[in-house]
Amino acid sequence: MNQYHFHFTTVSRAWPSLLVAAALLVALFVPPAAAEPERLVVYSGRAERLIKPVLDSFQAKTGIQVDLLSSGTTELVNRLQAEGVRTPADVFITNDAGSLEHARGLGLLHPLNMREIDRAIPAQFRASDNSWVGLSGRFWVVVYNTAQVKPGEIKSILDLADPRWKDKIAIPNSGSEYLQAGVSVIKAIVGDDRTKQFLQGLKSNAGTQVYGKSSQIVEAVAKGQVAFGVVNHYYIYRHLAAHPGAPIAAFIPDQQEGGIGAIMNVAGVGVIRHTRHLDSAKLLVEFLVAQAGQKMFADLNKEYPLHPEVKADPALIERKTFRAALVPLARLAELREATMTLIEQAGLR
Amino acid sequence: MNQAASLKPSLPDSLSLVALTVAGLLCLPLAYVAHMALSADAAIWSRLWTTRIPELLFNTTALALSVAAGTLVLGVSLAWLVARREFPGRRVWEWALVLPLAMPTYVLAYIYSHLLGAGGPVESAWQILVGPDGRLPSPHSYAGATLVMTLDTFPFVYLLARAAFLNLNVSYEEVARACGVSRAGTLLRITLPLMRPAIVAGLSLVVLYVVSDFGAVSLLRYQTLTYAVYQQITGRYDPTAASILSLLLVVVALVFLVAERWFRQRSRFFQTTGRYRTPGRRQCGPLGATLATVYTTGVFAASFGVPAFMLATWSFSAVSSGALDARFVGFIWNSVSLSGVAATCAVLIGLPLAYLASRRPTRLNLLCLQAAYAGYVLPGPVAALALLAIVSHLAPFWYGTAAVLVIAYVVHFLPAGLQSMEPALQQVTPNLEEASRSLGFGTAATLRRVTLPLVRGGFVAAWVLMFLQSMKELPATLLLRPVGFDTLAVRVWLEASEEYYQLAAPAALLIVIMTIPAILLLLSKDWRAA
Repeated sequence: MNQYHFHFTTVSRAWPSLLVAAALLVALFVPPAAAEPERLVVYSGRAERLIKPVLDSFQAKTGIQVDLLSSGTTELVNRLQAEGVRTPADVFITNDAGSLEHARGLGLLHPLNMREIDRAIPAQFRASDNSWVGLSGRFWVVVYNTAQVKPGEIKSILDLADPRWKDKIAIPNSGSEYLQAGVSVIKAIVGDDRTKQFLQGLKSNAGTQVYGKSSQIVEAVAKGQVAFGVVNHYYIYRHLAAHPGAPIAAFIPDQQEGGIGAIMNVAGVGVIRHTRHLDSAKLLVEFLVAQAGQKMFADLNKEYPLHPEVKADPALIERKTFRAALVPLARLAELREATMTLIEQAGLR
Repeated sequence: MNQAASLKPSLPDSLSLVALTVAGLLCLPLAYVAHMALSADAAIWSRLWTTRIPELLFNTTALALSVAAGTLVLGVSLAWLVARREFPGRRVWEWALVLPLAMPTYVLAYIYSHLLGAGGPVESAWQILVGPDGRLPSPHSYAGATLVMTLDTFPFVYLLARAAFLNLNVSYEEVARACGVSRAGTLLRITLPLMRPAIVAGLSLVVLYVVSDFGAVSLLRYQTLTYAVYQQITGRYDPTAASILSLLLVVVALVFLVAERWFRQRSRFFQTTGRYRTPGRRQCGPLGATLATVYTTGVFAASFGVPAFMLATWSFSAVSSGALDARFVGFIWNSVSLSGVAATCAVLIGLPLAYLASRRPTRLNLLCLQAAYAGYVLPGPVAALALLAIVSHLAPFWYGTAAVLVIAYVVHFLPAGLQSMEPALQQVTPNLEEASRSLGFGTAATLRRVTLPLVRGGFVAAWVLMFLQSMKELPATLLLRPVGFDTLAVRVWLEASEEYYQLAAPAALLIVIMTIPAILLLLSKDWRAA
């Protein structure tokens, strides 16, 4: 097609390389030998380093090998839907309850009848039929640079749309499930018009500071590129644990009288309807909701454990001291499509 | 000849059938994306037009144009230096300036995010100069994306411009000089205009590369169509908007391609006689030699030297903290086996297409060959989107297997392979095959014992090229990889996008190291000829 492209040299011995490739082809598609240890395939929409240690410790404890596919939550829902009964996945772990509820609506998840779940996780953090179970709580909060702004300068997350913060805030991109869930909650409470105004202000204030990962937003605030960021709380504490003395702090907005309340979401787990390893999958769920598993989410990830008897990391703001928004997690799924339309209308990236 | 003509129809028609099927399959993704986009609800189109499309079109075009301008300046000036001037170290720089081709854009992008980012080494140095409040513009911007893409792609222009400088018939320049035109005037009015076709060809490679790049723009968070398609696929339950943006992207790529062809047809230059003498190199004076050395060293350091050094240091500390575990070996195996299978399949698929087009250039056979070039305008995320949809409808049992990924690589990289398979076949005169047939060999035996041994070189080159491109491929791999099939490229991107630069380094360094010998190998003939 392009006669000015490079001319390629003659190289001898083509056939050995073709043979090698043919051998590779065979190796690639031949199923692994039988009599292997039990395996579980986990699709995870969480950042790999937040979930792999927990799965590794499950593997060490039970001897069940866990194969992990880390990707985007929404992308994985699409994938599960397309794979249908042929899916290799046994368990689905996400960073967002709305996605789990959506997957339940699509019939992708297996209801669980397990006393271990009922005992460990309060009912508001799981599906009515236990198709999905919340594992750890997270709040969508404001991270601010302590050298640039003072805590009292904003009260509500909606204040971030104020033109005075032009070029001073960093936000996640529109594909972020946290953002989608957060906007859904705001929309459910303050209505479409104010939410749209908020998004337009957010867009213009953020400018090019639109990130794919929460850790990058925290980093940008810590470096002073921006004064504020909107992230899940634990990214702030993880950053502080790795860089003690970084000039950042968490602020939980909307605690004033009549305010929205803190926007909560949960990371959760569901067993895939078409799994061929139901028993092992249940074992994994049991491991994740039990005190030991919950403690790992609390200690390693700095999330709020959902098990009432497991304590959050002492560095975190005490859970009892603030109020959460009153929008049930399961509603996040039904709100999402309308939220996405709003997000697109506002032109968020 | 009569006998030969009567032999030709006896070629098995099954070959044509195979070629036709293959061509149809290769066009399927493109057709599918177009179908999905055009059958989308008008409301979605209008919503995208009012919100995202103007920005994305502007960003994509602006980046393509600025990178084209940057590579034009860098590529032509460097080519002129090494082809027409003599200065210490010229021979080393002459080939070292090709090395940036071994740096995948996502690797260069992540290194520049660190180097130029807030709190990075460059900003720290700047703050020593101007005080602690000194800030540099962020690399996560239009300027940053332009810089990274320019440094990564200027060798395309450099290589073709260098060959043009060396192959030019010096008589034209001598005539100009004899007529009293100054040296600079000759360069501007004679040499550069004569090189236009080569330069345009180089620029068109650059522009296609920029338009379909995912790695750099995603890490530098610069919104182009390709990046937006990826975000739409991963962030929405409905692929309609993604397919609309994909179609636009394909159209943009096509516009650039057609423009290049049109330009090339309008400006066709012929050399009446072969070059009979190499153009001389003028010796630089001390000042000129210093400037030339500073310039070439600077460009080399920025595009390859410093990044490679950073990768090596990071890799060293990552390896000494135990990053090279069994998992890492697994990533290498995944990369190598997937790319090997894809390259082999592509050679096998390309063979009937290229063979028929050169031996029986009927309109249909030529059309089949052209169809195989559809992958050119199918950037990774678009190919992935189309394949996901097609496979889930037509062959759901393949969904989520390595096979889909292999198909994506084949569709995407076959055009690059065909570029060396086609000339290899065309260089074999049909007389040899006819002689073989007249001596009693059948079609298959002729193919096996005469044609294939003769085209081996070109086919191996095609294999190597497709192998390397598959190994570096990022967006389609991210979207289509089966469980437990992370490749080196995927690991680099996953680690780098969370700013774990050290963890990303060993995989990145390995990709670079594996790419360098192949690049040199592929260029070696080009080199000698020039």
